[in-house]
Amino acid sequence: MSLLMLITDNWYDIRDLGNVSHEILYQLDRVLPYSLVYIIAALMGFVASFLIFVLPSQLFVGVLGERKIIGRMQSRYGPNRVGKFGLLQPIADAIKLIQKEALTPKAADKAVMYIAPIVFVAPAVLLFAVVPFGGHSVFADIPVSIVYFIAISGLPVLAAFIGGWSHANKYSLFGSMRIVAMTISYEVPLVLSLLSVVLITGTMRLGGHDGIDGIVQWQRDYHIWLIFLQPLAFLIYFFCVSAELNRTPTDIAEAESEIVAGYLTEYSGMKWGLFYGMDIGYALAAAAFASTVFLGGWSMFGLDRWIPSWLIIIAKTHLFYFIFIWTRGTLPRLRIDQLMTFAWKFLLPLSLANLLVIATEKVIWNKATDGNFDNFWVYIFAAVNILLSVAAVFIWARLLGYRPEATPKRPRLVNTASGYVPIPAPSREVR
Amino acid sequence: MNALKSEPFVLNIGPQHPSTHGVFRVKVTVDGERIIDAEMVMGYLHRSMEKLAEERTYTQNIPFTDRTDYLSSMSNNLGYCLAVEKLATIEVPDRGSAIRVIMAEFQRIASHCMAAGAFTNDTGAWQTPVMWAFREREKILDLFEMTCGARLTCNYMRIGGVAFDLPKEFEPHARKLVDTLPGFVDELEGLMSENEIFLARTRGVAVVPHELAANASLAGPMLRGSGIAWDIRKADPYCGYEKYDFDIPIGYQGDSFDRFIVRLEEMRQSVKIIKQALDGLPSGPHSTQVPLALRPPKGEAYARVEGPRGELGYYLVSDEGPSPYRFHIRPPSFINLSVLKQMTVGHSVADAIVALGSVDIVVGEIDR
Amino acid sequence: MHGAGPNLAFWVLAALTLVSAGGVMVSRNLLHAVLFLIVSFLGVAGFFILLSAPFLGMAQIIIYVGAIAVLVLFAILLTPRAGRDNGETRWAAPGVLLSIALMAVLLFVITDTKWTTAKDAPEITAADLGQALLSTWVLPFEIASVLLTAALIGSIMLVRSPEEEAEDALQ
Repeated sequence: MSLLMLITDNWYDIRDLGNVSHEILYQLDRVLPYSLVYIIAALMGFVASFLIFVLPSQLFVGVLGERKIIGRMQSRYGPNRVGKFGLLQPIADAIKLIQKEALTPKAADKAVMYIAPIVFVAPAVLLFAVVPFGGHSVFADIPVSIVYFIAISGLPVLAAFIGGWSHANKYSLFGSMRIVAMTISYEVPLVLSLLSVVLITGTMRLGGHDGIDGIVQWQRDYHIWLIFLQPLAFLIYFFCVSAELNRTPTDIAEAESEIVAGYLTEYSGMKWGLFYGMDIGYALAAAAFASTVFLGGWSMFGLDRWIPSWLIIIAKTHLFYFIFIWTRGTLPRLRIDQLMTFAWKFLLPLSLANLLVIATEKVIWNKATDGNFDNFWVYIFAAVNILLSVAAVFIWARLLGYRPEATPKRPRLVNTASGYVPIPAPSREVR
Repeated sequence: MNALKSEPFVLNIGPQHPSTHGVFRVKVTVDGERIIDAEMVMGYLHRSMEKLAEERTYTQNIPFTDRTDYLSSMSNNLGYCLAVEKLATIEVPDRGSAIRVIMAEFQRIASHCMAAGAFTNDTGAWQTPVMWAFREREKILDLFEMTCGARLTCNYMRIGGVAFDLPKEFEPHARKLVDTLPGFVDELEGLMSENEIFLARTRGVAVVPHELAANASLAGPMLRGSGIAWDIRKADPYCGYEKYDFDIPIGYQGDSFDRFIVRLEEMRQSVKIIKQALDGLPSGPHSTQVPLALRPPKGEAYARVEGPRGELGYYLVSDEGPSPYRFHIRPPSFINLSVLKQMTVGHSVADAIVALGSVDIVVGEIDR
Repeated sequence: MHGAGPNLAFWVLAALTLVSAGGVMVSRNLLHAVLFLIVSFLGVAGFFILLSAPFLGMAQIIIYVGAIAVLVLFAILLTPRAGRDNGETRWAAPGVLLSIALMAVLLFVITDTKWTTAKDAPEITAADLGQALLSTWVLPFEIASVLLTAALIGSIMLVRSPEEEAEDALQ
């Protein structure tokens, strides 16, 4: 019973850490000047979101977990020497990176080369400012969180670009060109897919709680996750974000086997470490954003009354991050022109169609319920959208000329060394 | 109206590049990402083996052949020994021949594991297929270690047979492995051949038409991938290959994917051969006695075997001395590589890497 | 908003914007100039946020930093002689004249405007902006989109190679 008594929405209620921070700030506000409290709030937000969530996740899920899981996928153990289960491996890695010599090529633009990793790190920290970890524990629940997220997540590309440009290395230049070209292409379907989310929820705020509109609150109100309502938007978001983050099927900007890590070629030591660590940071941010927008954020169909909301969002984030690890462990890499084709010919039309469907549904919903927007219609839309999405993906792929059955997967067998054996008519289509 | 002009620039792929499989360098001229010219630069691993061989006895040269194509030392040993046996007209006992076949076919599987794995790595699959392939390759190398004590540079074949007879535990282990290998091939096929991205990256990339393949004297999976049914084991049988029942897998249009699936199917066929050889393993001596300082009669001999990378030929000239007067290797990957320019020009840099991976080169063999 | 926080933020942002704008002029390296320009853009975005217009601030970052700056960087990268020293151009004199003229106009406008301070500015949400764009200002909005579409098609035409045009002519 004592546990139940804790759950009261008071400052000692551990389900929502926002309560305690509000209480601290409220008490501080009575003794300290406003500007100082402002700075303390900023520090608290940073400490809470970054040092408690992002950094450990980065080290133990991003670095260690990723290597462990990929190791298992590749039928090997992964790091298991430093500390118990290799738990100290990320720290050992960091120490190694710090004491490594940071090389600077002679022809490099030194100032730009030094600035680029710093520019790369800052947005990763900023991104977590808008991710809600609970009804009240969100550092900046600004009304334009989604736009904020898109804006800030565009900045690291700039850092990667100038970093790659500054070395005067041809491989880096390739990487820079590729990352910018790819980001520009994938930003369009990404924004369109998020736009359809904004359209149906009618808000650009990520969090929200009882009384304040927000995407998480919308999903709580209608008892449905947006992934069910808009599966297509979720898919498009996933593809676009994995392209922008350089995760494996789309990691052409830092392709090791082609352009030798691209824009990172000449970076060494901790400068490289910052890029590497923050790549994971961005992936975590994208995962947290995806679980907020599409997977219900900190809500869990009422379970969030009993389980601390920050645990729910952290679990969802890591679950989403696992998909990134999974694709990295299993998929080969696409070529740049194939990626561009995929963005412009496949994702863009689909995201436009998705937007059209969602807009239509919103109008129907409005008209049918006289602006009441009740639950019933949402479930109908979800069913319709799931069917439509599957159909759209397959039909559009077919229309673009995708014929998996046209490619023979086994060679022909002959028994004698008889020279050239012509392909039997009808001749196969060459894809 | 003038179109926007872009300046071509020269990009050095290698000699230090993760995808050149050693120290091999391609100087490509690119226009944007499209390759307009490719020039191969070889010789970074040149060790002058053919010249060195003229100073050593015939037996002493066997370890050199290990180190040319270090991924298929058994096949190299075999080719060299066949050439010497042809030169000195030495008969090999049946058991020796059968053991040679088993070893050569295991070596083919091991080498194709490496080839398929490294090729998928070149297409960007992050290490997973290559690790799976290495897992199987390790088991084969364990068998080699069991037999001759070495894993990579086996030095197992001798002039007139093989160095040692098979140990007792070899056969049960080999049979067990042979039973599991087709499953692994299916697994790799499921992971890669059915993968849409892999198909997109390899289908229609680096096409070698069958006319070009024949004219450039390509061999092995490169040739068969282009749809030409040619296999030394069938066309010019040695070691009693005519007794075994197996098929030649051939591709369709000669692209990277065809070469990949041909390699996978060859692994299945090799398993078939090993099974037959194990079942019909004759008893008797594993080797004939050959004088240590062998002085073959004056003359020349060329022997060829179907190595994992294609026709592996050894040309020997004897002047009745204890060492060959001339020793020359026909390295399959060197000749297969000669079409690299035709394969890459017009494609992007990423495709050039795939093309290079699909040739399956071993730089030790190219530079010798 | 009152208090030390916003005031401090104003001065920091002002210094950042002006110093980096100066850097754009002073730096000889074209790429460094663009980087300074980006910082300047970010400072302006900060001003928007400070003025309780977060949507505008974010739009500033997306469009200016995310798109336009990258575009300029690309243009520099693709320009063969971008690395040259820009100091001794013969356009120096016209440039100085032009900037003096612009300065004069700006000074006139600044001194001529009656600056009033609103006590409680209404919060303008993105929804309000959308309403305004699609009702009051629908004509300029549409004209801008037509212009952008034309620019898009024009750029596609520019980068087409002669071979592709010949291919299309054949079909």
